[in-house]
Amino acid sequence: MGELSQMVRGKGLSAVGFAVLAIFGLLAVLAPVFSPYAPVEMDVPMSPPSGRHLLGTDDVGHDILGELFHGARFSLLAGLISGALSTIIGIFVGLVAGYYERLGFAIMRIVDVFLAIPRFPLIVFLAAFLKPGLWTLVLVFVLFGWPRTSRLVRSRVLSERTSGYVDAARVVGADDPHIILRHLLPSSVPIALTRFIAEFQHVILAESGLSFLGLGDPATKSWGMMLHYAFQYPTIFISDVWIWWAVPPGLCITLVVLALTFSGFSLEEWANPRLRKSGLARRTNAPQIFTGGSPIPHRRGARFVLYCTRLVGWIGGR
Amino acid sequence: MRFVQYLITAFVLVSLNFFLPRMMPGDPLSCLIGDPGADAPILLTEEMRENLAEYYGLNKPLVEQYRDYLFGLTRGDLGWSIYYNGPVSSVLLGRLKWTLFLGGTAAIIYTLLGTLLGAVSAWKRGTKVDVGLLIFVFSLGSWPPFFLGMLLIIICSFKLGAFPIGGAQSPAAVQAGGLEQVKDVVHHWFLPCLALVLTHLPGIYLLTRNSMLSVLGEDYVRTARSKGLQELRVLLQHALPNALLPIVTTIAMRLGFAIMGTMFVEVVFAYPGMGTLIYQASAARDYPLLQGGFLLITAFVVFFNLVADLLYARLDPRARATWVS
Repeated sequence: MGELSQMVRGKGLSAVGFAVLAIFGLLAVLAPVFSPYAPVEMDVPMSPPSGRHLLGTDDVGHDILGELFHGARFSLLAGLISGALSTIIGIFVGLVAGYYERLGFAIMRIVDVFLAIPRFPLIVFLAAFLKPGLWTLVLVFVLFGWPRTSRLVRSRVLSERTSGYVDAARVVGADDPHIILRHLLPSSVPIALTRFIAEFQHVILAESGLSFLGLGDPATKSWGMMLHYAFQYPTIFISDVWIWWAVPPGLCITLVVLALTFSGFSLEEWANPRLRKSGLARRTNAPQIFTGGSPIPHRRGARFVLYCTRLVGWIGGR
Repeated sequence: MRFVQYLITAFVLVSLNFFLPRMMPGDPLSCLIGDPGADAPILLTEEMRENLAEYYGLNKPLVEQYRDYLFGLTRGDLGWSIYYNGPVSSVLLGRLKWTLFLGGTAAIIYTLLGTLLGAVSAWKRGTKVDVGLLIFVFSLGSWPPFFLGMLLIIICSFKLGAFPIGGAQSPAAVQAGGLEQVKDVVHHWFLPCLALVLTHLPGIYLLTRNSMLSVLGEDYVRTARSKGLQELRVLLQHALPNALLPIVTTIAMRLGFAIMGTMFVEVVFAYPGMGTLIYQASAARDYPLLQGGFLLITAFVVFFNLVADLLYARLDPRARATWVS
């Protein structure tokens, strides 16, 4: 992770992205502490911003600022859980599918079917039938989130397998789990992380979209739900209410998605070294010496693997 | 091989459409008339319930129902809409033209604009133009489409009064006909189209930029440059045609999503297309209509995926091999 933090420091934008995410994360976790009113407390409905309610109240008298904080909880939690779960599943399916050829072929045919199914219509369709709620959302998003990640990870594994060090590890006697977990997994993590970011964004946008369409759980406080109620309010556009009722949740969604994009910049460069400025210059056909830092099992004491285009030998050990 | 796969996908979707509602809590009948816990339940006697079940063929074994459903599909029979009290297929077709008009024109605009901006950005890589465009486009891509639509309505329609607040045409203009009607339709079309273009532009732009960047790093571009060709010629004759390959296929795929992609914008602008229809269907719990709409949308997407695949094979000789085998 040292490499990652280095790049963040070099890139102003991704630093801003991580900072915004951190602030929203903090607000979400500490929502009960920060928010001036509990989400069920009611006051005079439709009161404009004042000292009592910084962003006014909505049509049932809930404090909008408090709703905003609690909305951050739901939106971020849904994105985080769905993104993380589908990434983890995607990584492992991708690793297995990339490493074992026959099995991989079969798995990829299933993935192809999944990828051809249009996601959002199905999510709307499912949401209309299922009982809305956090876990329904997570289930639906994970169900259609993993295939893309697993395809990317698999293609990464396929290219890694031919790049020499996997052969080298096998020659020195490493078994399959060791190669997959110690060599292929770390090299697929960057690309999977960029997928995690994309998935996170997708879930936040899709959740708010579903809620906006009225397919969310009416009882939960989410940014999409706030927009839904605001949009449903008859005179929302004519008065100035929209400024403190509809704009804040909309801006929050936009900000989080944008912050995710920016923080993704550094990850993308990390995942794809060719994007770095010096990346092209470093490509060379000269024989290269790779020295592996991790100890190699079954060859006690062997520290370094040396190969040109093929493995020629290892240094040290028996 | 690929055709078989598309057939399987289509079959899976058609079956999902049949089985999902039946797997959900409550039987299709309670979906049709609303279950007792709904806002306005319709309470039925046991006898009425049985009559209805027989009318809809719900008392038959599942396999038989499935077979009837598949046969119905081949005849274009998508069921009966409860809310509109008419065949689902004709309700859908009535709305389809507006969606195709709005989504199609928007797709043409954002594709051309996105490709152009992306190519410029890649060409000027690292300069102020590139960075400026990137930041602008990224900020644009983060707006939820419905929120963007809301802001456009508030600012352009309510505050400035420059555009109508919704719908596809006004009754007066329909009566006037001719040029008056065309002007009115365009007037209604502008804002939703703008919202669509703004939300879809980033995707095409980024794709073109990435594709151009990777092509510009290729050996044949370096060769072309070292031959002493002019920069513009290298760009237009050597780089762009190769960079367009993934773009063309992505556009074909996006066209399939055009129907669904317009959904939020349609709802916000009360545009009488498929998206609004599906929104109303889900609000009214009109399940047959919802199922029909889902089927039509997915059929579009799968079809355009197939087109994209075929197109790719046609444009890239290397990809042709997978079709032959």
